[in-house]
Amino acid sequence: MMNGWTGKILNVDLSEGKITTEPTEPYVGNYIGGRGLGVRLIYDHYAPGTDAFDPGNPLIFNTGPLTGTAVPGSGRVDVTALSPMSKLRAKSNFGGYWGPELKYAGYDHIIFQGKSEKPCYLWIKDGRVEIRDAENLWGMDTFETQKALQQELGDPEIKVVCIGPAGERLVQFACLITETGDAAGRTGMGAVMGSKNLKAIAVRGSGGVQVARPEELLEVSIKVNQEIRENPAYQELANWGVSRSIPMMYEHSFFPVGYFEDVCWEDIIKNYQGIEFMEKYQLKSLGCFNCPGRCMSFFSVPEIGKGVTSCEPFSGFTGAVWNLDMDVFWEATVLCNRMGIDGTETSACIGLLMELYHDKIITAEDTDDVAMERGSKEAILTTIRKIADREGYGDLLAQGQMAAAEKFGPEAVEKVDQIKGLAPHAYEYRAYKGTGLMAAVGHRGDPLPLRGSLLEFDWNMSAEWFQQVAKEKYGSEESAIPTSYEGKALPAFISEHMERVADNLGICKWIYTLFVYEDAEMPTRLFNLVTGKDWKIDKLLKVSERVRNLERMFDVRQGLRRADDTLPKKFFEQPLSKGKFKGEVMDKEKFEQMKDEYYEIRGWDKETGIPTREKLEELDLGDVADEVLGRA
Amino acid sequence: MIKTLIVDAQKCSGCRACETYCSLKHEGVCNPAKGRIHIVKWEQDGTFVPINCMRCEAPACELICPKHATYRNYTTGAMEVDPYLCIGCMSCVFACPFGATFVDPDDGRILKCDLCAGDPTCVKVCPTGALTYEEISKETYLKLIENADRIPLLVREAIGGEE
Repeated sequence: MMNGWTGKILNVDLSEGKITTEPTEPYVGNYIGGRGLGVRLIYDHYAPGTDAFDPGNPLIFNTGPLTGTAVPGSGRVDVTALSPMSKLRAKSNFGGYWGPELKYAGYDHIIFQGKSEKPCYLWIKDGRVEIRDAENLWGMDTFETQKALQQELGDPEIKVVCIGPAGERLVQFACLITETGDAAGRTGMGAVMGSKNLKAIAVRGSGGVQVARPEELLEVSIKVNQEIRENPAYQELANWGVSRSIPMMYEHSFFPVGYFEDVCWEDIIKNYQGIEFMEKYQLKSLGCFNCPGRCMSFFSVPEIGKGVTSCEPFSGFTGAVWNLDMDVFWEATVLCNRMGIDGTETSACIGLLMELYHDKIITAEDTDDVAMERGSKEAILTTIRKIADREGYGDLLAQGQMAAAEKFGPEAVEKVDQIKGLAPHAYEYRAYKGTGLMAAVGHRGDPLPLRGSLLEFDWNMSAEWFQQVAKEKYGSEESAIPTSYEGKALPAFISEHMERVADNLGICKWIYTLFVYEDAEMPTRLFNLVTGKDWKIDKLLKVSERVRNLERMFDVRQGLRRADDTLPKKFFEQPLSKGKFKGEVMDKEKFEQMKDEYYEIRGWDKETGIPTREKLEELDLGDVADEVLGRA
Repeated sequence: MIKTLIVDAQKCSGCRACETYCSLKHEGVCNPAKGRIHIVKWEQDGTFVPINCMRCEAPACELICPKHATYRNYTTGAMEVDPYLCIGCMSCVFACPFGATFVDPDDGRILKCDLCAGDPTCVKVCPTGALTYEEISKETYLKLIENADRIPLLVREAIGGEE
């Protein structure tokens, strides 16, 4: 057994019912684990041309060497496959308690291939692996499924990650759920799992994670635990979740209103009821495995239900759908979690219909007589149910926003705001140029959570201070100034590498490299204590760069080029009509210049956006260069 | 005055830090299954209950042990097990009314909370204050005040008066 890693990758062929293992060790030097190692696995196991719902699309779960250790925030798991939405490499990540349990049961990664003939689930207990019948679970929501499995297997401490009815029905943006709302939300992993007839993965383990330097780790880790608890950002999150920061985000035009229609909806700035809702219904704040941060709120609302949520739904089911009724926000959130659909994409779908209705491109007749009025409770909740059930217009949306728009006609198609096939993370890119760049070039069209993006937002709080930070850490004061196009490529480059350090190790990037520790020093130190290696920070960052390039090459192999690194055209054409950044719009030419700068730093070809052979060889990716670029 | 580990389950977030750090401290490995404290979880209700040795006045684990391997450490008040006397019969495990005597899943050793010799690691890392290490008198006094506080309200409710 290794220190940190369990040392085993589990291969499950659902078509053949065959289960094998292979060692993790050969991969760790170049890819570490978690997201990084997962990228290598998907690159090697995915055959180009395979459809996302084809049995040949591998579905891969990745924990890192720090997952499940006494390191705060070590509950993270990365999930990958070919995304049915983007047709690129999918990237999703969830927390909770499942990842640590998988390691205690003996595995670092699971690769699913093939398709089960009948609904099934995988049961892993201390190195024993079994594919079991899930006929009785099919149709259950995600909460019921977890309970039913704990009962069936006779152990309430079993950890389950599963799909809901939406995943079974192949809703493109179906997600995975564990506990009461921890989700691998984005890129449609629930649909891929559903296409394999795989309902759930239940794990239970009593093995541990071996550690190279236990005494030192204990000492450092206790200190980290205390530093996190003392951090103001985390005290805020633990006490108030994100509820208090939401109106502020709107005030600074960082969160869009409606379907990226404009910003600064005065009603939400003045009348956002999140704090009152929290005071009334939050039982406690919860976190993932071994996390003192507790950024999630556990709500218990009579008639609606219990569960956790954090972050995205607080704006997705309020401002993005013109809703101020917090009961509706909560009902929508619980519904999405139980049905197993991604809240971000779902709220964008609703936002799209509301905009189409508002602009009279569609009428109630197009949506089964549901009037898609802005903020309508009926519109919000009915749409979610119909998507999950694939009923009526919900069936159209279940095939993606674009597919639905095509049915509504060319005017509707014009309205769709997506980046690489996904709803953009709900940030307002017109005023925040660096964030826009990160979204455009980013691996899944999603800048979150990158330090460079947060820096632009932080600037609103204390402009001079953050300009100084920007100069020290990112080489230019301009990096912090949201409306500036200068100095934005380097922060994107640095933040992308830092983000991958946390993802490769299996720890939370909110804590490490974003809010508490703002660089990769602490993760590096913890990595060495756990694994017994003596790596310098540069070596971990080099792995991040390799991972970033390999992700890019996977997508290049799928046909991705420079032109795909862009934003919805609304951001280039419609200036903001009010608010703090009134008049701001993304200048197309300057935007392309930021991209040039970014490709330059990356060592990618500016014409095509493809990594150069030279860069790939420098990163030991010569084999990838040979395959995708052709032999030199 | 002697201190002891106090559990306030209402505050627990179920994060398992106590279990994990406990195993690291005592066993040098990260493995909640080797913790000397354990959290029972009802995730869907948001209810979590940390279970730890209650250090009973007449401890069943001590009384039942045929080899007198379980004994009280009078410096800390903790119930400890002498590994040289223990024969591994697990009587103490089954006798414990709280299920707070644990067994190493690998080798069957008895795992009992020794309060880290008076400086419990779990208390240091508990983020919510669900675990505290307090003087017993202080804790009972706080409980007393808390309970007394509720009584006027209960009386008013009982006689059907206003709140």
